[in-house]
Order: sequence, then C-alpha cells, then structure tokens
Amino acid sequence: MSQDYTPVLIQIVIASGFAVATLIASVMLGKRAMRNTVKDSAYECGMNPTGEGQARFSVKFYLVAMLFVLFDIEVVFLYPWAVVFRENVANAPVYFWGMLGFVFVLFIAYLYALKKGALEWKS
Amino acid sequence: MHDVNTLAWIILLLPLLVAASILFGLKKMPGLSALLSTGSVLITLVCSILLFSATGKAVPVTWISIFEFKVNIGLLVGGDKDPLAKGMMFIVTFIGTLVHIFSLGYMKDDDGKARYFAGLSIFMFSMTGIVLADNLVMMFIFWELVGVSSYILIGHWYNKDSAADAAKKAFLTNRIGDFGFMIGILLVWVLTKQIEFAKFTPEIVANAAKSPLFDIAIIAIFCGAIGKSAQVPLHVWLPDAMEGPTPVSALIHAATMVAAGVFMLARVSALIGASELAATVILWTGAITALVAALMALQQNDIKRILAYSTLSQLGYMVMAQGIAGQGADAGMFHLYTHAFFKALLFLGAGAIIFGCHHEQNIWKMGGLRKKMPFTFWTFAIGTAALIAVPGTSGFFSKEGILHAAHAAGHDFPWVIGLIVAFLTPFYMTRLFIVTFLGKSRTENADHAKEVPQIMFVPLVILAVLALFSAYKPIAKFLQAKGYAHAPEIDPTFGWSLFGLIAGVGLAIWIYKGREKERINIPLFANKFYIDEIYNGLIAIFQDAIAGLLDFIDRFVIDPVVARFPAMTAFTAGSFFRLFQVGNLQGYTFLFGAGVVALIWFLLF
Amino acid sequence: MPVYYLEIIVVVLGLVMLMADAFVKLEDKRNIAWFAVLVLSVVFLLLFKVSWPESTEGSPFWKFYDAEKGSRGFSLFFKGIAVLTTIIVLIMSAEFRGVLLKYTAKPEDGAHPQSGLSEFFTLPVFACAGLMWMASANNLASIFVSLEAVTITFYILVAYMRRNVGSLEAGVKYLILGALSTGFLVYGFTWLFGVTGTMDLAGIKEQLALDSVNVTAALFAFALIIVALGFKVGAAPFQNWIPDVYQGAPTPITAFLSVASKAAGFIVLLRISGCFFGSGDLSEKVGAVFVVLAILTLLFGNLAALPQTNFKRLLAYSSIAHAGFLLMALASPITLVADGKEPPLLDTSIGVIAFYLGAYLLMTLLAFLVMTAVRNQQEDDSLEGYAGLAKRSPFLAFSLLVSMASLAGVPLTAGFFGKFFVFKLAIQNGACGWLIAAGVIGAAAGFYYYFKVIASMFWNAPAEGNDGPIPVSMPAKVVMVLLIIAIFAVGIVPNLILGLIK
Repeated sequence: MSQDYTPVLIQIVIASGFAVATLIASVMLGKRAMRNTVKDSAYECGMNPTGEGQARFSVKFYLVAMLFVLFDIEVVFLYPWAVVFRENVANAPVYFWGMLGFVFVLFIAYLYALKKGALEWKS
Repeated sequence: MHDVNTLAWIILLLPLLVAASILFGLKKMPGLSALLSTGSVLITLVCSILLFSATGKAVPVTWISIFEFKVNIGLLVGGDKDPLAKGMMFIVTFIGTLVHIFSLGYMKDDDGKARYFAGLSIFMFSMTGIVLADNLVMMFIFWELVGVSSYILIGHWYNKDSAADAAKKAFLTNRIGDFGFMIGILLVWVLTKQIEFAKFTPEIVANAAKSPLFDIAIIAIFCGAIGKSAQVPLHVWLPDAMEGPTPVSALIHAATMVAAGVFMLARVSALIGASELAATVILWTGAITALVAALMALQQNDIKRILAYSTLSQLGYMVMAQGIAGQGADAGMFHLYTHAFFKALLFLGAGAIIFGCHHEQNIWKMGGLRKKMPFTFWTFAIGTAALIAVPGTSGFFSKEGILHAAHAAGHDFPWVIGLIVAFLTPFYMTRLFIVTFLGKSRTENADHAKEVPQIMFVPLVILAVLALFSAYKPIAKFLQAKGYAHAPEIDPTFGWSLFGLIAGVGLAIWIYKGREKERINIPLFANKFYIDEIYNGLIAIFQDAIAGLLDFIDRFVIDPVVARFPAMTAFTAGSFFRLFQVGNLQGYTFLFGAGVVALIWFLLF
Repeated sequence: MPVYYLEIIVVVLGLVMLMADAFVKLEDKRNIAWFAVLVLSVVFLLLFKVSWPESTEGSPFWKFYDAEKGSRGFSLFFKGIAVLTTIIVLIMSAEFRGVLLKYTAKPEDGAHPQSGLSEFFTLPVFACAGLMWMASANNLASIFVSLEAVTITFYILVAYMRRNVGSLEAGVKYLILGALSTGFLVYGFTWLFGVTGTMDLAGIKEQLALDSVNVTAALFAFALIIVALGFKVGAAPFQNWIPDVYQGAPTPITAFLSVASKAAGFIVLLRISGCFFGSGDLSEKVGAVFVVLAILTLLFGNLAALPQTNFKRLLAYSSIAHAGFLLMALASPITLVADGKEPPLLDTSIGVIAFYLGAYLLMTLLAFLVMTAVRNQQEDDSLEGYAGLAKRSPFLAFSLLVSMASLAGVPLTAGFFGKFFVFKLAIQNGACGWLIAAGVIGAAAGFYYYFKVIASMFWNAPAEGNDGPIPVSMPAKVVMVLLIIAIFAVGIVPNLILGLIK
C-alpha cells in the first residue's frame, strides 16, 4: 500500500529539493556583496528614493505569463491521452478526433491572441 | 363542415378574430370594419343554423388542471337531450345579425364606427362563450367578458357624462352580482367536486343537497343572474344603460345579454330543483321584479326607458318561471326566445323612431308618427301586440305557459302577481303607442320626421314576422323549444289574462286618446320607487359611517398594532439584515466562513 | 440529431464570433451579436428536434451526458432556459453598448471605436455552452468543469467595465468569493468520491442508499457542496456577494447572473441533493438543511429589500428572495410514489422549480430590459431615477409594471402560478409551519417593495434632470412585447410551460 505512494514521495523530494537547491546554489555561487548604509544610499548628489520599492511590471508580462500557463496546461491533457492512446484509438476513433478538436480550439484561441496583439511586446 | 365540433369553434372564435383584427389593424377603416363584423356574424348565424342538424360531439380542451380542479374549454352543444345551447345560439346569432345590419344604417356617420363594431364583435364572442360553455368556470369568465363588452358599448359615446356614468353603474352593479356568482361556483365545487353542467347528475346533486351550505350556494349563483338579468334589487343599471346606442340596447339589453341570467339558471336547473329554498327565492324575486318594473314603466316618458322597464318586467317573468320546478323552466326559456324577437323588434322600432325624429326620445314630444313613418308604425304595432300578449301572437303562448305553470304548481300568489302584470303591460304599452303614433305632432322634430333608410327595414320585417309566428310549430320546433303553441285551454289563467289585456288596453285608450300631456301623476312610480335615491343615500350614509369607523380603526387599531408594528419590525429586521452587507471583502469572507462553520455544525452535530 | 451537437454548435458559434472579430472588418460590431442571436434562435428551435441515444454504450460522450428517460425533458428545458436567456442578454448588450464603451474603449488611440465590444457578445455564448452542458451533466467531473466554464466567464464579464470603479470592485469581490466557494465545491466532491468511490451521480446515489455508508462523511461532503452551490444560487448565509456584484456589474450581465447562473445552480443542486434523498438517514438531515436555508433566504431576501432605495440593488435582493422560494420547493421532500408510477409533474420539486425558473426568466429579463433602456439615458439607478417613468415612456412603465406585478405574484401573471405551485407543494408534502410562515411573510413583503417601484413610476413626478423621453430600440421593444405576452399567457394557461417540460 505505502509503496504505491513512493513516486509521490520522490516527486515531493525533487520539487522541494529543486527549490532549496537553487537557493543554496545562488548563495554559494554568487559573489557576496558588501552592504552598508553608505553603499545603499544615493550616489553623491542624487535624490533620495521615495515611493514603493517594487518595480512596476508591464501588463504585457502578465499577459504573456497567463497565455503561457494556458497553453502549458494543454500538455497536461496531452500526456495521459498519449498514454492510453494506443489501446483506445483502435477501438474508437473518437479519442483521436476528440483530442484534435481540443487542440483546434486552442489553435483558434492562439490565432485570436495573435491577431489581437497580445503577443507583441512593443506597442 | 357538418360536424358539431368545427361549427361550435367557428361560432366561438370568428367574432374574436374579427374584433382583434379591427382593434389591431382596421381602426382607420370603419367601413371595412363594419362589413367584416357584419359578415362574421352572418357566418356564425349560418353555422348555428347548421348546428341543429349537425352530428358529432364538441371536443373539450383542457385549460387548467390543479389538484382535482380541472377546467376545460369545452363546448356544450348537447345532443337531443339538451337543445338549450342550440336554440339560444340561434337567437343570439340571429338577433345579432339583424342588429348588425340595422347598425350599418344607424351608426353610418358615427365617429367611433370601427370601435362600435369591434365592441359588437367582442360581445358576440363573449355571449357565444356563455352559451357554449360546458362548465361554470368557463361560463363565469365569459360572463365577465360580456360585462366588459357591455361596459364598452354603453359607454360608446363616452364624451357624454351620462353615458360614461351609466356604463360605470352597469359595470359596478354587475360586479356585485358576479361576486355572489363566483362564491356560488366555489361553493358548488366544494360541495359536488364538479363544475361541468353535464356532471350534475341527480345522485351527485342529491348528495350535495344534504349540506346546509347547498341552499346558500344556489342562492349565491342566483346572485349572478340577479345582476346580469337586472332583477330587483340590482335592476337599477338597466334603464340607465339605455344611454348606449339603440341597436346595442336591442341586442344586449333586451334580447341576449340580460337573458344570459335566465339561460344560466336553466343550465343549472338540476341544482335549483334540489333546493326548495333557492327555488322559492328565485320565484319571488322574479315575481316582484315583474310587478315593480311594470309599475315603474307606467310613468316613464322616455321611449327607450319604457321599453327598458318592460324588459325588466318580462325578465321577471322568465326568472319566476325558473323558480317553478319542471314545466316552468321550459316555459321560461320559451318566453326568452319569443321575447327576444318582439323586444328586439320594439327596440329597433324605437331606434327607427329616434332616428327619424332627430334623436328625440321623449314620447310627449312625438305624436302623429303613424302617417310620417307608416312602416315603422306597423312593425311596432306587431311588436306591441306580441308584448301585450294578444292571443295568437308568440308572446301570448309563452306568457300563458309561465302563468299556467305557476298556477299548476300551486304558487297562487306569484300567479296573481303575474296576472296583475298582464294587466299593467297592455296599459303602459298602449299608452306608449297612442302617445307616439296617434294624434297630432306635438313638436317640430316630430313634424319633420322621415321614414328611415331601407336597410333598416329588413330587420324590422323579419322580426315582425317572427314576433307574430315564432310560437307556431315550424319555427318553435326548429328552435327545439318545448311548449310551443297549443289551443288555449279555457281555464282561469286564460280568462283572467284576457280580461287583463282588454282592461289594460281599454283603460289606456280611455285615458290617453287625444291627450296632449300626462293626465295621471304618481310620483312614486315616476321616480322608480326612489330606489336610485335610496341607494345613493344608503351608499352615502354607509360610506360615511364605514369611512368613519375605518378611520377610527385605522388610526387607533390598525396603524399602531397591525401596520406600524409589523412594518416597523420588518423594516428593523431589514435594516438589521443590511448590516451584513458590510461592503468589504474581508467582512464577506468572514461571514462566509461563519456560515460554513454553522452549516457543518448543523449537519453533523 | 444527437442532443450533444447543440453544445458543439454553441461552442463553434463562440469561436466563429472570436474569429470574426479578429479577422473581419466590421463597421458595426453589433452585427456579431445579431449573428449570434440568429444562430442561437436556430439552436433553440433545434431543442425540439434532438434525439437521444438508444444506449449509452459505445460513445464516450454519453458517459458524461445524462440520458435517463425521466430527466430528458428537464435537461432540454434547462438548456432552453440557457439559450433563451443568452439571446435576450445579447440583445440587451447591444442596447447597452453606449454605456459599455464609455467605460472600456480608449478614445485616444486609433483603435476601432467599438473595440472590446465583441468579446462582450462572445463570452455569454461560451457561458451558454457551459450552462447547456451543466443541464445534462451527470458526473462530478462534468458538473465541475461546466460550472467553472460558466463562473470564469462571469468573472470577466462582471468586471468588464474596467474604467468603472463599481464594476471593478464587483469583479474582485466575485472573483475572490467565487474562488473560495469553488474550493469548497472541489473539497466536497473529493469527500463524496472518497465516501462512494465513484464520480458518477447514479453510482453515488446507489452507494449512498446502502446501509454501510459512512453517514458523517457523506454529510460533511454534502455540507461543503451546499456551501458552494448555496453561493451560486444566492442562498443565505452565502448571499453576501449578490447585492454588491449585481449593482456593480454591467446591467445585461446582472440579468444573466440572476437568471442563468441561478438556474444552473439549481439544476446542479437538484441533481446532487437527489442522490442524498435516496437514503432515509441522509434525506432527513438534508431536508432539514434545505428548510433552514430556505427560511433564512426568504427572510433575508425579502426583508432586506424593504428599505432599499436603489433599483438595481432591489432586484438583487429580489433575486435572493426568489432563490428562497425555489429552496422552499426543494425543501419539500419529494413524494415517494408507490407502484413505480411517475408522480404528476407539479408534485415533484424539480417540476415546480423548473416552472418557477421559467416564469422567473420571463419577468426578470423584462425588468432588466427596461433597466437597460433607462440606463442609456441616465447614470441614476436609484428608485428616484424611475420616478415618473410613466410620463417619460409609457411603454417602459407598462413593461415594468407587468414585470413587477409578476415578480410580486399578482394573479393572471406567470409569477402567481410560480409561487402558487411552490406553496401548494410545501403544503401538500407537509412542510414545517415555520417554512410556510417565512414564505408568507416573504410574499407579503414582496408586494410592498415591488409596488413601491410601481408607485414611484406612476405617481411621482420625474426628478429634475431625469425627465427626458427614453427611446427604445426596435429589437428590445419586440423582445419586451414578447415577454409581456408570455407572462400573461403563462399566467392564464400555466400548462404552456408544463407542456414544454414534458
């Protein structure tokens, strides 16, 4: 029973390990910066920074990110389909055409996004 | 085509179609509307004649079925056992046709001609609905529709205050009766679980009659007839309704609509037969109406009003007949048929006179019309003869039937009243006749009177023939009426009514021959027993008293206890609930979470 | 034609609309809406022509499609509601374009003057497809997917007027609370799956009826699901979002939310609660929950509406109130009929709810059509803005009169029979006295606040500045007339709707 969950355990270890490993790696590999108030202050006669410290991202960034997620999800559906494809497609071609329809819908969405200029970075 | 179902539906729906098309499209084309309306009623007449020999059964359509309360839109055009609808249908469409034709002339130059004919078509639709209805609910709906169309037509000249008031009065008075009718229908349904006429079998009725409510139910139903057939004490609207165009008076307020009450009583005669109390109430209401109306007719000067009161009086006869079990009901329906012919004739004749005399309605301002309008004179004479029941005319046989039935059933007192009315009727009709047609013209209008256009003759002639002969075998048998002409039995009824006729006519001739103005003056009759004044006074007193009482209750009881308190509670509760609409998201999510916890707690613990 | 083609047609229609907007040069983008109205009308007619499979074997589509003989009529009826609502919402949206563009289009750049409009027409079509699928979803997975297809579309539509603070605020509220409720729904589904081991509703019903079922776990699952669905239909205490979101959303979307979204929520509620009503232990508790929810919703919706002065908010509360009546029908336990005979339609909760929703669709959409026309002329949604409407536009005033009378339940209108059948069902099935009392209080309060609107329209003089005449476009007028006729027709012959269900 518990053996069934071994792949899940491995998945968890890999996922969290990846995050931890990147963090550690960046600390270890990167050159340690010297930080003190003088170094952080504005250069010579520059203005003291005011307002929010966060940089503003262009809305385009979110747009592209969202489109990426959407099209990425497509793959999630394609994997299990590909796994059972061989057994089932011989019995019922609807499995094939169904997935093709799904991809077609996504293609339409892609065309729409393209035509509407969602993927143009500069405007 | 020779199928009852098809014919009945055509008769019912054709007028509706015409009315709708006039109202929604042809308003600007009065000529076409008039022709369309007349044409449609002609077709329905043909259909209703075909109906007599048609075979088959009408197929009902289910309208509502809630609980065991099922209402059909059914058409009851019974077989041989039930000739009621066929005969009535013929009368309605026949008089309707003639009135339409007459109106073509009478309303020729009226501004609201299209509206008028649309109104007539709506009326024809609703009236056929009443006649064909196979259950009480459907009848009630058409009953109301008839009320509406009558309202429209009485108020046709709505610019005239008196017409608008009369229309309102007719409508409101009828509402009182209809309210009773509605309660009656509900009670009957509660008691018998049936609303279809055909289902009132003797067993069901006998079963229901055990309940003490049964008498009340039948009397409540009778209230509908009191309103529609203008019986005392709800008779006040009918004379005022004469404000409408005269053809309308002939069609609706003489021949058909007011007879609907009698027709309805005949339909539920199975129920009436089971309630002795209700039958007695009906009998006496009819008798009193007959007498009171005849007395009031004695002193009227408006030609249409005299005819209106005589209509009331004759309706009293018919209602009285419905109160006599068995033979009486048939005689009453028979009188309805004959009366429809001769009263329509008289009204159309009166219409012709009014038309000829430039809209003069006072009989004392007429006179000498015999020479000016010979044609109208003769037809009117025939109508009068039928109304006063000269032996041999149709009116004689039907009236004799009623009086005879009353005598045979042992209702002596109503019988005597009937005989008194049989004396009064000839008296006031002879008065009307002499003053209008004989002697010399008393005003310029009467002097310049001209005979009416020929299109108006046609209905008059046809009706005159029927007024004379409709009681004889071929016609009466065609109508499938029971109790047609027979050799008069020489019995007290015959003797007394003949005596009444001679005495009435003789007395009237003696008093009014060659007179210029009224010789006798009985304010009580002239003012219609002051009933209108009494009603107005009563209404005023009651209104004040009730208003005062209500005001008191409103101010000191309802307002603080009944209205303020719940209203305040509701408002407070409402405002309290609104507090939950805090408007910010954190608040909502918190409440949402609280709801989830409460729900889970409620379900699991 | 197999019945699932309908959904396919609607989805393809949506795609075509998107492509048309992207690739075809159109002077007036409303043409896209007219095209959609045309196609959807055809779909509506096709509803009467569809065929059902002989068996569900063989085609994988049917596995997710409820093809039981008994529920086919209802599936089609709810699909009809979805299509009809979408058609009217599209017509309303075309009427609403002026207001919409004011808050979406950027006047400064050289884009099409109506840019952003066509998506406003397209998204409801996709929502419609989701609603239609939901009407026949018979599997937890398909229920969830179709429900989310609708909800996500609504997130966008509610916040569509992005330059209007109210619309944005409504969008954010709806998004966050909606996501919260979706979370509960999925969690409930997993518990249900855990208890029964199947996603199929028929299978779930079978499993729940067994004696061995874990009652506590099943009830927990039910509680979670009811939270989410209660949120969707606007049942107290999960109704918080409704007034704010209804007020902020563009008016056609408010109409869409209040009719289609509610109808969808109720059909899912009916299907899932149907599984629980199969077993004795569960059905008692489940029935009790519905009674409590119905009482709360009836009282909240109707009483909180009393002090309202904003018409759009008033309609939001009225929508909660109507959800209360629908829950009342749901709370009346389903009569079990012996001999396996089908009970009469109006003796079942689903029959009454279907009728009520049909009537509700007519009168609510009529009210929102009037509101859209008025909104074109003025910013003001408050009741004062509707004062003297009878003088400004007798036609609109009459339409609103009919709609309000029907919502209040005046006899001879469709709304009367809706309420009548609900009460009849409740009394027939011996519902508890408190529920009926709450229903009566609700109905009475309803009369008050609906007539407040009528009184304001007919007796008050128009407010300063809001007294010009109000033009109504031809398509909107035609739809209104049809709705008025339908309200009266159903009010006189209720069998019209019942016939459609059969």
